[in-house]
Amino acid sequence: MATTLEAPKTPAPKTNRLGLQAVDYRGAKTTLCAGCGHNAISERIIDAMYEMGVKPERVLKLSGIGCSSKSPTYFLGRAHGFNSVHGRMPSVATGALLANSSMLGIGVSGDGDTASIGLGQFAHLMRRNLPLIYIIEDNGVYGLTKGQFSATADVGSKLKTGVINELPAINTCAMAVDLGATFVGRSFSGDKKQLLSMLKAAIAHNGTVMLDVISPCVTFNDHEGSTKSYKYVQEHEDSIGEVGFVPFFDDISVDYDPGTTYDVQMHDGSHLKLRKLHEGYDPTNRIGAVKALMEAEERGEILTGVFYIDAKRPSFIDSLNLAPEPLATLPQDRVRPPRRVLDEIMQAHL
Amino acid sequence: MRQSFAVGIGGAAGQGVATPGDIFAKVFSRRGLHLNAYNAYQSIIRGGHTFLVIRTGADPITNIGDQLDLLIPLNQDTMDRHLRLLGPGGACIYNADSIRPGTATQGVQLCPLPVATLADITRNKVAQNTLAIGAALSMLGIGFQSLESVLEEQFKKKDRSVIDENISVARAGYDYATQNFKPFAQPLAMTENRYAVLSGNAALAMGGAAAGVKFYCAYPMSPSTGVLHWMAEHARKANILVRQVEDEIGVINMAIGAAQAGVRAMCATSGGGFALMSEGLGLSAQAEIPVVVIDCQRAGPSTGVPTKTEQGDLWQMLGAAFGDYPRAIAAPLDIGDCFTLIPEMFNLVDRFQCPGIVLCDLLLAEGRLSVDPKLLNFRPPIDRGELIVSNGAADHEPYKRYLITESGVSPRAIPGIPGYTHVVSSDEHDEDGVLISDEYTNAAKRRAMMEKRMRKVSGIEASVAPPKLQGPANADVTLVGWGSTQGVIEEACELLKDEGITANQLQIRWLVPLHGDAIVEILKKAKHTIIVENNFSGQFARYLRSETSFVPDGSIRKYDGEPFMPHHIVEAVKEQLAGKTKLSVPAHEVMV
Ligand SMILES: Cc1ncc(C[n+]2csc(CCOP(=O)(O)OP(=O)(O)O)c2C)c(N)n1
Ligand code: SF4
Ligand SMILES: [Mg+2]
Repeated sequence: MATTLEAPKTPAPKTNRLGLQAVDYRGAKTTLCAGCGHNAISERIIDAMYEMGVKPERVLKLSGIGCSSKSPTYFLGRAHGFNSVHGRMPSVATGALLANSSMLGIGVSGDGDTASIGLGQFAHLMRRNLPLIYIIEDNGVYGLTKGQFSATADVGSKLKTGVINELPAINTCAMAVDLGATFVGRSFSGDKKQLLSMLKAAIAHNGTVMLDVISPCVTFNDHEGSTKSYKYVQEHEDSIGEVGFVPFFDDISVDYDPGTTYDVQMHDGSHLKLRKLHEGYDPTNRIGAVKALMEAEERGEILTGVFYIDAKRPSFIDSLNLAPEPLATLPQDRVRPPRRVLDEIMQAHL
Repeated sequence: MRQSFAVGIGGAAGQGVATPGDIFAKVFSRRGLHLNAYNAYQSIIRGGHTFLVIRTGADPITNIGDQLDLLIPLNQDTMDRHLRLLGPGGACIYNADSIRPGTATQGVQLCPLPVATLADITRNKVAQNTLAIGAALSMLGIGFQSLESVLEEQFKKKDRSVIDENISVARAGYDYATQNFKPFAQPLAMTENRYAVLSGNAALAMGGAAAGVKFYCAYPMSPSTGVLHWMAEHARKANILVRQVEDEIGVINMAIGAAQAGVRAMCATSGGGFALMSEGLGLSAQAEIPVVVIDCQRAGPSTGVPTKTEQGDLWQMLGAAFGDYPRAIAAPLDIGDCFTLIPEMFNLVDRFQCPGIVLCDLLLAEGRLSVDPKLLNFRPPIDRGELIVSNGAADHEPYKRYLITESGVSPRAIPGIPGYTHVVSSDEHDEDGVLISDEYTNAAKRRAMMEKRMRKVSGIEASVAPPKLQGPANADVTLVGWGSTQGVIEEACELLKDEGITANQLQIRWLVPLHGDAIVEILKKAKHTIIVENNFSGQFARYLRSETSFVPDGSIRKYDGEPFMPHHIVEAVKEQLAGKTKLSVPAHEVMV
């Protein structure tokens, strides 16, 4: 069922600021089902990395297990990859980025990988505010094991077999806000513009970015009665605020009205521009973010957009006060504590 | 026979058993004496019984021995339980105001201290402890000066008045003993040597620092927590990144992530935590990322006996993670070896890009031993194997992370190097790291990858020396042990010799690779073979049998939570040589 990903429609410059072409950001040919939402997300990651001019070799792609977790193979073939085990990517990512904080980490997970087997790891990752882009490719089912309900399936959602989900969905966005992630949003694999802006802003952010991207599973969860089908999401999507992004290297200044648009200056000097579509919406207010998410859930709507951002809180790496030189690249003659330190330590035992 | 002197101090948790223990240990080590200490305690912060034994002497002290020479009971319970451990010539120093003496063995001196008369007990709650230490040192023929300097150091963080108070109380005990009690027949020896006193956990951690470990993470679990404490305390100075993680699943995967990034990464746990690491161990094997896991065994199964020792995790280690994969498993022989083994293990797993397990136990992890600092080499060789850390010559063959080679080892590049980008994965993959079971499974590639990885097994085997027989050839009995029983078996052999039975010892340090042929070669020449281990089913005996078909003449097993004492082994050997039984299960005579 292999298919080629569709080419981005937005006309992009031939080369980016590193002089690389879009093809330099492509990965292997996808082996996921034609039309799978995960493929569209891979495409947007390619676009975002290309447009932001990220050096592919500096990127560490991480994932767990699932159809979604396979997708890092299908973008950034020139980057490093680590397909880890089911639900454990958060700790692998933490170890890898602590050992080498000069890498840009992007983790791709699924709703099963995150909200079931990996829920504990997910919660602790959110608390750390590790600089990592964490994407849940959320289809409400376990695609790779042939379509059982996951813990993000909505109450009342129906499987093809007729089985109805009775348990409440875990709201990964509300959890992430609660637990300390500093950039939390939701998007839809079918919403190219919003997803691309959010991914670009994610690259600019210094801290944990948690993006829940609704990504329909065309094979097991795209039918009538599913709440994660293309049709259902299109009909029930409610954007909390339009997402615009101006990278630091673009000097195009766009006029905006502070009454209707939030302007968040990001760590690297980029600007995230959020046009308020909901009354009283303030993306820097955690309580408001959780409230908006809960209310949308009650209305049966799928809220999208950037719910919460804190561009100032120190990341995990910053708060640990790590030396700028990554531990992973220390020369061999400096990996051991200096003699003086060892002598001091030994003295305490004599 | 080695000369030694053993002190036992017991009381309820919270009564301050640790401080007199520290003071004795310092006094002994300042006299240039060896020491071995073991603390029997319970999983409770206050109340439960604690019994600390420190044995000292001029020669190496490999275990806590069979008998006490001095008992300091801090409560009645300790008096009742442990008085019987004193042999003739021994002494018991106790608070005459609160503790009734029991009936002691003939020749034991009972030394009651009138505590309330000698010290102001309203001011000093632990006066009985300090008086007893003073009294003991007098009876051991040690000048008061050496106690004074140790007390100065012990309480250096306290007010001057507290230090003075303690010194004067100790002095009162010292003088009282000089006037009223008989000194020990043998004054305590003295040498010019200086030893470091280490717990196994500290030694494991220091071994990690010596090996160049840059990343350590753990979830607290007795008896391995000491490694975490050491690491956390020295993290800054030693430039080691130390993390306490949410659970052991997170621990192993975090260590693997860091190791993949290029650092030496280590973690420690006990059996229950290790069970959660099994999945990650498989990841390390499949993705070929070297990582060292320390398992400090405690009595199991499940939460088991958190504060008691056992050698019961061997089969868990052998069976950890599914599928076949190369790995290394070694059990340190003593606390000094906890230090030495870590750099060795790192070199091995770095060269062969596989997981390495250090199978320690509570006896070593929480025990204390004097180690000659000269034996602690903080600059052991570091061999990181075929690791690519820089771009080097720009022109090279397209990089394949899992290149099929004759040795099975594929050069490993760390992430971040242009020209060496690659994917690692938990799924079976081809030479490029691409999953092979995506669209259809390529059986030929699977077979080739499996064979590549498993070729490392012979390389690992060739890198580790086979075990050697210790002691006389042609002995009446050959005792086989593994890991932490090295010391106690060694002393049992000496005691047997005194009784006219020649014994030698085959102590196993490397469990994987085992060198089964070399072991059988030794054992088939032995007159009588007995496997000694701290578990119920004879886990090592079963392993040796499964690998070599070798069946010993007998077994000595102990699984009551306490370590072997030399006489347990001596008596068992005698009954087995007399043909009374093939399986001895020595009883721990004292409840601790
Ligand atoms: C420990 C473990 N249990 C079960 C599995 C089987 N398994 C593979 S993927 C998967 C679910 C994946 O679901 P999700 O993360 O939502 O990814 P999707 O395929 O839907 O993108 C399961 C249960 C596994 N690989 N490992
Ligand atoms: S099964 Fe579903 S999730 Fe998996 S590739 Fe197909 S459409 Fe995507
Ligand atoms: Mg899913």
